[in-house]
Amino acid sequence: MNGLLLIARREIATQVRTKAFVIGLLVTVVLVAAVSFLPSVIGGNDSYTIGTVNSQQLPLHTAAPDVEFEWRKFADEAAAKKAVLDGDVDAALVNGTKVLTDGEIDSQLGVLLQSVNREFKLGAAGVAIPPLEMQSVGADTRYEAARTGIATFLVFVLFLLLMQQMVGVAMGVVEEKSSRIVEILLASVRPWQLLGGKILGLGAVGMINLVTILVVALGGSAASGLMAEFPPGVAGLVVSVLVWFLLGYAFFATLSASLASLVSRQEEVNSVLSPLTMLIMGTYFVSFYVANDPAGTLATVLSFVPPFSAMVMPVRMAATEVPLWQVGASMAVMALAVLAVLKIGSTVYERAVLRTGARLKFGQVLRSR
Amino acid sequence: MLEISELRKRFAGGPDAPGGKVALDGISFAVRPGEMFGFVGANGAGKTTTMRIVMGVLQADSGSVNWQGVPLAYDARQRFGYMPEERGLYQKMRVAEQIEYFGRLHGLSAPAAKQATDDLLQRLGLTERRSDTVQALSLGNQQRVQLAVALVHDPEVLILDEPFSGLDPIAVDALATALQERCRGGVPVIFSSHQLELVERLCDSVGIVSSGRMVATGTVSGLREAEGDTLRVVVRDPAAGWADGLPGTVTVDGDRHTLRTTGGDDQEILRRAVKAGHVEHFGVEHQTLTEIFKEAVA
Repeated sequence: MNGLLLIARREIATQVRTKAFVIGLLVTVVLVAAVSFLPSVIGGNDSYTIGTVNSQQLPLHTAAPDVEFEWRKFADEAAAKKAVLDGDVDAALVNGTKVLTDGEIDSQLGVLLQSVNREFKLGAAGVAIPPLEMQSVGADTRYEAARTGIATFLVFVLFLLLMQQMVGVAMGVVEEKSSRIVEILLASVRPWQLLGGKILGLGAVGMINLVTILVVALGGSAASGLMAEFPPGVAGLVVSVLVWFLLGYAFFATLSASLASLVSRQEEVNSVLSPLTMLIMGTYFVSFYVANDPAGTLATVLSFVPPFSAMVMPVRMAATEVPLWQVGASMAVMALAVLAVLKIGSTVYERAVLRTGARLKFGQVLRSR
Repeated sequence: MLEISELRKRFAGGPDAPGGKVALDGISFAVRPGEMFGFVGANGAGKTTTMRIVMGVLQADSGSVNWQGVPLAYDARQRFGYMPEERGLYQKMRVAEQIEYFGRLHGLSAPAAKQATDDLLQRLGLTERRSDTVQALSLGNQQRVQLAVALVHDPEVLILDEPFSGLDPIAVDALATALQERCRGGVPVIFSSHQLELVERLCDSVGIVSSGRMVATGTVSGLREAEGDTLRVVVRDPAAGWADGLPGTVTVDGDRHTLRTTGGDDQEILRRAVKAGHVEHFGVEHQTLTEIFKEAVA
């Protein structure tokens, strides 16, 4: 096994064994599972209990197949009234002519009761009314809510993981530089192996996190029935999210490592990383905006501009239909940006990582020699 | 043989030193297989810079480092063992894992690295500490781990910057023994130290650096001979003017007169002293490395 892989393996082993990683992963699993169950818990009321007094049950379920109805029979109006006030039933139908409610009736239930009652009575009188056929001539908006939800979720997950792994890379670089381990390391491996191994290892740790989150989210959604509302093509989206994470991570982690190699003390990491932190925050806010306006000009333009594209494009893909060529082109541009950053970043890292002492300047290091 | 010739290095000037600072001004020396070379000099004389250049963590402006007759390159350097001046270990990594890890980075297979680690832990008295994290160890034990990291791949050459600093006498002995073993096995060992008695005791040869130059190099006895031995005679209550015409200098402390000289006919001096008064001491004194060092850098 060569130096690169040995270094990557150490990074993974070191990270995975920390309490922070284990607890973080557990908390993530719980949170993500909660999020995938949440919509079905707080989402629109999808079951009603209706009381009847001397009335026939109306075919409400036929009119609204997504909603569950439970019927309860009461002996007289007084008993039904008490049940309504106690909250045991949402409404009570009396003699087929009157509905008792506690305050204003739930609007969905009110409309349902009125229209089904009318249809039922007309049907009884021998009049059949064919139901209206609904036809959309605009964009398919059936999945709009689900798409926005998924997009927002992705923005958040990508942002957190990119940020976390990027800071991890920076801390690792400074740990080695400040303790001078780097002198021994570089007497036995090349700088690009040390840098590459670190980026690779922490990237793998990030992937473990991301895959866990996606698996729990998909599993949770399947279990909670949320999956039924997902638009088609979720599998493709998941795969592309993994690719986008890798591209975005390679970009930010390389820059982070080269910036971190400029300082010699852990206390200086935050300040030296601040331009990069601002960039990633900017990417996050832009993507958050795009999640709510995925078809706008800003969304389309930024989904091609690295490093914004690493988050904006997957968000666009989740929130709306994106032509495949656009995804491919955007990935290619991002990959080129990653190559450029690798070239510049590794040069700076190589030159700066052995120069301990005062903080160095990025541009100066790049131009030196 | 490891040959260092005409190394020059100038550090770019900062706000304090606009013209830059000359760290090395043409350092040359050679270390043979099985030779222990002591590198001495004041702080900032250029020892660390020289060692860092040999290990490739710093580039020289000019000059060369040859190993076995060819310019030292990356691959050969992988078989060197290095202990930098500022100790570097992963504080949160376990002792045995860390030593093994560096063994593997130096190209050992997994079983070989494990075997070498076990041997070293045993030899350095760290076996019971193998599963502790480095940060839980005392400074002396951390230094042993650092040495183990330098030794784990059975290096062909050892370059150690201040390996003895901060160690108690027992740890110094353990470390000295470990180095002597390697040396007897034919490994050239270079180490720097400010503990000159130690250098004198351990080293076959010594290099004294001052302001980036090698001001004296050779075996300790060779350096002594170059300086010449000192004859010291102490006479109690001698007749006035007893030493007139003799070489050397006389110091007086009460009724004790001390003559120190590096030349002259010792038998003649003895006769004169006996005649002059009660001779309390007559003997040749070897110069210590400390004295040689002070004279060399003066």
